[in-house]
Amino acid sequence: MMIIETCKKYLRKTYTEFATHVYDIPQRMLALLILIIFLTLPYGGIDLLKTLPWLTTANIMAILAVSWDLLVGRTGQMSLGQALFYGSGAYGTALLFTYLGWPLWASIPLSILFGTGLALIIGVPCLRMKGPYLALLTMAFPLSITGFLYYFRDIFYGETGIPPPRAGRLPSLFPYPGRFSLFDKLIADYFLSFALMFISAIIIYKVATSKTGIVFVSILDDELGAKACGINVTKYKLMSFVISGIFGSLSGSLYASLQKSLANPPFFDLLNSVIPIVATILGGIGTIYGPIVGTYIYYTLDKYIFHYVIPLDKNMRLLIYIVVVVIFIIKWPRGIARAIVEKLEDLQEPREIEEIKKENVRPGE
Amino acid sequence: MLEQIIIFGTLSGLVFALIALGFTLVYGISGIVNLTHGAFFMLSAYIYGILIRFLPNFISLEFPYLTPVIALILSTLFTGIIGSIFYRLALHPILGDEISILVVSICGCLIFQQLIFLIMGSLQAASFRIPSLIHGIVYIGSVRVLTRTILAAFVSILAFITLTILLEKTKAGNAMKALSQDLEAAMLMGISTERLYIFTTAISACLAGIAGIMFTSTVTESVSVAMWLDCLAYSFAIVIIGGLGSIKGTLLGGLIFGYAQAAANIIIPYAGYLQESFPFIIMILVLIIRPKGLFGKRVEME
Repeated sequence: MMIIETCKKYLRKTYTEFATHVYDIPQRMLALLILIIFLTLPYGGIDLLKTLPWLTTANIMAILAVSWDLLVGRTGQMSLGQALFYGSGAYGTALLFTYLGWPLWASIPLSILFGTGLALIIGVPCLRMKGPYLALLTMAFPLSITGFLYYFRDIFYGETGIPPPRAGRLPSLFPYPGRFSLFDKLIADYFLSFALMFISAIIIYKVATSKTGIVFVSILDDELGAKACGINVTKYKLMSFVISGIFGSLSGSLYASLQKSLANPPFFDLLNSVIPIVATILGGIGTIYGPIVGTYIYYTLDKYIFHYVIPLDKNMRLLIYIVVVVIFIIKWPRGIARAIVEKLEDLQEPREIEEIKKENVRPGE
Repeated sequence: MLEQIIIFGTLSGLVFALIALGFTLVYGISGIVNLTHGAFFMLSAYIYGILIRFLPNFISLEFPYLTPVIALILSTLFTGIIGSIFYRLALHPILGDEISILVVSICGCLIFQQLIFLIMGSLQAASFRIPSLIHGIVYIGSVRVLTRTILAAFVSILAFITLTILLEKTKAGNAMKALSQDLEAAMLMGISTERLYIFTTAISACLAGIAGIMFTSTVTESVSVAMWLDCLAYSFAIVIIGGLGSIKGTLLGGLIFGYAQAAANIIIPYAGYLQESFPFIIMILVLIIRPKGLFGKRVEME
């Protein structure tokens, strides 16, 4: 009897929490709905081979886009070189995996440390730059690294990239017990990448809404004013670079560990810097949730709609979705996710302040 | 060796300066970092390559130099028109939003790249040889120099002189300078910003077009679909060495870049592997030493 009573009490408490803090606010309901859709997607009777690979890629790219959003949308450090973190994470993982034979779950954290160090090193010259100079400098970093990969080809294997150590032994993130079928691997990869994306997005959101995040926004709004208020602007800019580097290299090393050939020069491609930017601007810059929405829109357009629904050849596809993206950016310059959220806010009926105050008091306070 | 570095550096540096000229012009006048510059560079080279193949069918063989000249003029004008149309359609609506402009202009490069892909059919068909304008070798001192590189350097000097005359002597040039100095005052004097920005972009696209033809017909002797990135690489490096928005700086930046590259090619063994990233390495070094470039305008803190 006791147990049932307690259960009832907790159920009621959860329900009131849900009714007052989630159900009443359309944005949160939408977020919850999307979360449920993503969690049940592999069991929804869809064609797994057609959807899960690119959804996994989209999850990983969303981490990169969110990390870019923190650096540019929140701190205003105009960076066009997120591919640097992406590629260095991938190469760090591949080097540790190939030369030292570390398992992937151990080499990913270390390669994140490597990416963090790199972010510190490139952050220092970037601190003095502003506007277009900063954009061009950051764009130059990943493109200049490719040359070194070709030059020191004994270590980095040049164009082919670092291969897995032995033929037939593909890297897998989980030490899979027994034999996993292809579908199990796809689902495991999907859930792992989704979980990591979710956790990273929450961490970055917490950082962006914390006191540190407010300082970041103050640097974006008025750097001189922030300096005048006694804020150590240098420290916070560097901090933004480092946080961005951590999550950028996390996404790079994740992608490398899911790929057959671990790391290759295309990781430093301009396209890998452009995709997160396009996704962020599609979704809404400076919102943290925008880049995630944008990444999924981008990948749905690229890998699903123009691939299976309207089958096009590769070149035509790139052309058409870039045109679509440009039209979206010109039409909604503040982002699609933001536009949706603003529409939802308009839907909410204006209520009395007293009523809102009453509702916001948590039960038990 | 020093002789080689100076001669090769000057000749190639002038061509590099021509590549960056349109890029710096647009930034100096309208404050846009227009990365579509690379696309116009590539587009014009392709149109030139196609025209030079098919024009001889319509022109009598009595004037062998007529074909390249007509092809050059036609492709440059066409690139200018395309440039102004692209600016009006895609960049003008989002003027003032720096990040969106960067993204849309990169997307523009990709759009033109894919268009060329689709028109040419395949990757193999899309990279073909461009015949050089003049054949022959000239000795400067004891250094062997190809005549066509001298021609390209000459064209570059001509473009610089024309642009300077345009900016200094004509009414449109003065209006452009006025826009770059004080936008609001210029608008109050009855200058149409939109029309002048379109005009500036058209000139910049024409300059990119000439640079594309000169670069492909003298230095690389072939066209490929990814060459917009090379163009952007050279433009960034030069513009940043010289300072964004300064035409004098672009010329000097180009020359410095030319000398540096010539020296590196002669001194460093296997420098060919580093060729792609060389502009970026120079650029990073210069920016670390001087954050606003060597001759860049000092931006005051507001």
